[in-house]
Amino acid sequence: MAGYTENELAKDLENQEYKFGFVTDIEADTVPIGLNEGIIRLISTKKNEPDWLLEYRLKAFAIWKEMTEPEWAHVHYQKPDFQAIAYYSAPKQTKKYESWDDVDPEMKETMKKLGISMEEQQRLTGVAVDFVMDSVSVATSFKEKLGELGVIFCSFSDAVQNHPDLVKKYMGSVVPMTDNFYAALNAAVFTDGSFCYIPKGVRCPMELSTYFRINAGGTGQFERTLVVADEGSYVSYLEGCTAPQRDENQLHAAVVELIAMDHAEIKYSTVQNWYPGDKEGKGGIFNFVTKRGMCESHAKISWTQVETGSAVTWKYPSCILKGDYSIGEFYSVAVTNNYQQADTGTKMIHLGKHTKSTIISKGISAGKSQNSYRGLVQINKAAHHARNFSQCDSLLMTDECGAHTFPYIECKNPTAKIEHEATTSKIGEDQLFYCMQRGISEEKAISLIVNGYCKEVLNQLPMEFAVEAQKLLAISLEGSVG
Amino acid sequence: MEKLNILSQFTSRFPSTEIDGLSSMANSARVFLSGNDFPTTRVERFKYTRLTKLSNAQFDGSAVTSISDFRKHQICPDALAIFVVNGHVYLPEIKVPNGLIIEDISSAKSLPSSSMKDVFAAMNVLHAQSGVSVHVAKNTVIDSVIEIVHVCTGSYAGFTRNQIFIGENAQAKVVMTYVSEQTKACFSHVHTSIEVGKRAHFNMEKVQMESSDLFSFSDEEVWQGADSVFQINTLTLDGNLVRNDLHIQVQGEHAETHLNGMYMLNGQQHVANYTTVDHQVANCESNELYKGIMDDKSIAVFNGKVFVRQDAQKTNAFQSNANVLISDDAGVNSKPELEIYADDVKCSHGSTTGQLDDEALFYLRARGISERGATQLLLTAFMSDVLDKITVPSVKEKVFEVINKRFNWELTL
Repeated sequence: MAGYTENELAKDLENQEYKFGFVTDIEADTVPIGLNEGIIRLISTKKNEPDWLLEYRLKAFAIWKEMTEPEWAHVHYQKPDFQAIAYYSAPKQTKKYESWDDVDPEMKETMKKLGISMEEQQRLTGVAVDFVMDSVSVATSFKEKLGELGVIFCSFSDAVQNHPDLVKKYMGSVVPMTDNFYAALNAAVFTDGSFCYIPKGVRCPMELSTYFRINAGGTGQFERTLVVADEGSYVSYLEGCTAPQRDENQLHAAVVELIAMDHAEIKYSTVQNWYPGDKEGKGGIFNFVTKRGMCESHAKISWTQVETGSAVTWKYPSCILKGDYSIGEFYSVAVTNNYQQADTGTKMIHLGKHTKSTIISKGISAGKSQNSYRGLVQINKAAHHARNFSQCDSLLMTDECGAHTFPYIECKNPTAKIEHEATTSKIGEDQLFYCMQRGISEEKAISLIVNGYCKEVLNQLPMEFAVEAQKLLAISLEGSVG
Repeated sequence: MEKLNILSQFTSRFPSTEIDGLSSMANSARVFLSGNDFPTTRVERFKYTRLTKLSNAQFDGSAVTSISDFRKHQICPDALAIFVVNGHVYLPEIKVPNGLIIEDISSAKSLPSSSMKDVFAAMNVLHAQSGVSVHVAKNTVIDSVIEIVHVCTGSYAGFTRNQIFIGENAQAKVVMTYVSEQTKACFSHVHTSIEVGKRAHFNMEKVQMESSDLFSFSDEEVWQGADSVFQINTLTLDGNLVRNDLHIQVQGEHAETHLNGMYMLNGQQHVANYTTVDHQVANCESNELYKGIMDDKSIAVFNGKVFVRQDAQKTNAFQSNANVLISDDAGVNSKPELEIYADDVKCSHGSTTGQLDDEALFYLRARGISERGATQLLLTAFMSDVLDKITVPSVKEKVFEVINKRFNWELTL
């Protein structure tokens, strides 16, 4: 609760409606709606892409056409009409900014509202931000400082232009285009995203950050993130997401690929706050994301996520523990309120010897929402002495919501040790009584208990993210106590 | 199209049922079958169970008819025993206590309708040849154990349907014994409907020790009334492909449900335990404990589901699955599920997989116990909490006897 006072909580609670629901009035360059080869060629041409990438897109599109939308998740929604989406929407000015002063003031204002004003970020936190608005990355800071160390942190399109070899080598190596329906769609139509490369032995001095925001109506966001940490390097990467309030359902189908080479470590934190729809469940973002990391030997990938937004979430950040002694971690808080639905979890695929994985998942369901944990722990034959610990807790706030756990545990090696435990309950009346007896109001007591419940996960977040996450939790759950 | 052929090819060998009580369900079974294929691993319920061996198997229907004495398979010497041999019911002349009726299911007036969980459940409705009906009148306590012995011989393939009714305030114990002799490839599917009335107590020991060329499917559908207590111990000791489907509907308040299971596998065995506890009303409790030891190339599957409906407030549900792998090629797939729509509940589940603790082994060996002996001791200790749940002493003795024989152990009670 550091730096977060009661007054702030009170203030936040007053603004309980979706506070990022503004639309930035920036002229956007949008392609016609619909999806066909022509559109893909148009996107590719607009982005001045090399031929191999266009071929990659077309191949993915051909594969996608053959696929059907997955229906196994514990969510119900009106399937999006893929022909009614504009697959490319970019703020009109495409010139690059030399300095911060050149940036459109309107856009600066947007960032300010998002709480990531660059001046403030630069001055106070030393976070380098890559800001993606409607698919195109508009500003990147701290480039020089990172450049000295050889760290490449740029938009995906820049990487395609300037570092084609790296992109070509690693893109699709962890999440192939054939992986699933949305990954194939993303491979065909992705517009931008972030690219990050940390050279051998470099410890990235600052937290790298991207902010995603869906702005224009009727558009989808299909970004692709690729983080490559070369041998012995370290990087902490932050990702935040917001979208304006709209009545329609907007689609977000991203792909994130992490590659941690020998002895490298990647820490990937997400605070996802897409617009969840209104109280009647109208509108909101469909968040169908494929995130996966590959760990070589002695490498470590840690996913931390705080999911408070989206109408429907379908997301399983995973680790392939390929190298011996590699480590995968997954820390998650998923909050659903009103009519939100979340089906989220992780996959830990143990291939190497002495691989370890930890899963801590905390679900909070309120209103009429449905919150599911779905996870896979797979110990393959050669994964001697693999170790897994999973804990999935669910907290139910009302009698109309649901909390579900679907863990898959597959073990093919006798030396593995796997533990899984899950609990589902509501806030204990004795806990509430204890707090209230000491003069803490019911509302505050609940906030206190929920924060304590999530603490294991929030502790994994970088400081300034943790504060934001706590505020989000309070906002998301306001008025939901039954 | 090809898949449909596998299904119709599979079903074509079975004659239609002549049990009158099933006719009301026949239509929905037919509808289900026409809309489904023979299950592949793409079907969630069969994700870990490959059935190609079953669909390719040849059951020539040749049954060894002259079994001189199938009484030897009876586990409990004092039990009221009924035999179902290759789909034929043998009711020995036994003196049945007052309030108990045991008869061939074809004489039963009405049968509860069952859910179409999968194609086999639907096929059972259309092709069941016989089965046993046990009816315990209300306020009756049956002291003797009732044992239903299912025997398969030759290369029999068929469906059996049993029904057990425990009236209000009644108490009974049933031992379900599954054995085989002189088998080639055999397929047997046994459905048992169990109604446990208000305040009734019912205990079932299910002992599976069919030979290693048997495809043994069984499915139990249970309805529990208020204040009732139901316990089932599923003890899988042998078999080729064994699949147990347990579906419990808790329909009365303050009911208690206890599901326990143990499986000890070796060779190429595949054992799948699917359980669903559907809490439909408030104030109930369920406990589930499944433990298994896998040797050689055997594979175990556990899929337990606790379903708590919106009205089932104050439900306490616990579920636990523990596995020990003792060979490099054995495997286990565990999926403990919770699906909860009520908030004032306490539900939890746990699942572990591992091997014996080296330190514990060392401790025993340092005291002069051989490695084999120490391993057996620790594995028995691991199983002991399930074995302790067995309420019929002769069943417990049988379990030890079979384990000692199959695993070449020397354990005593």
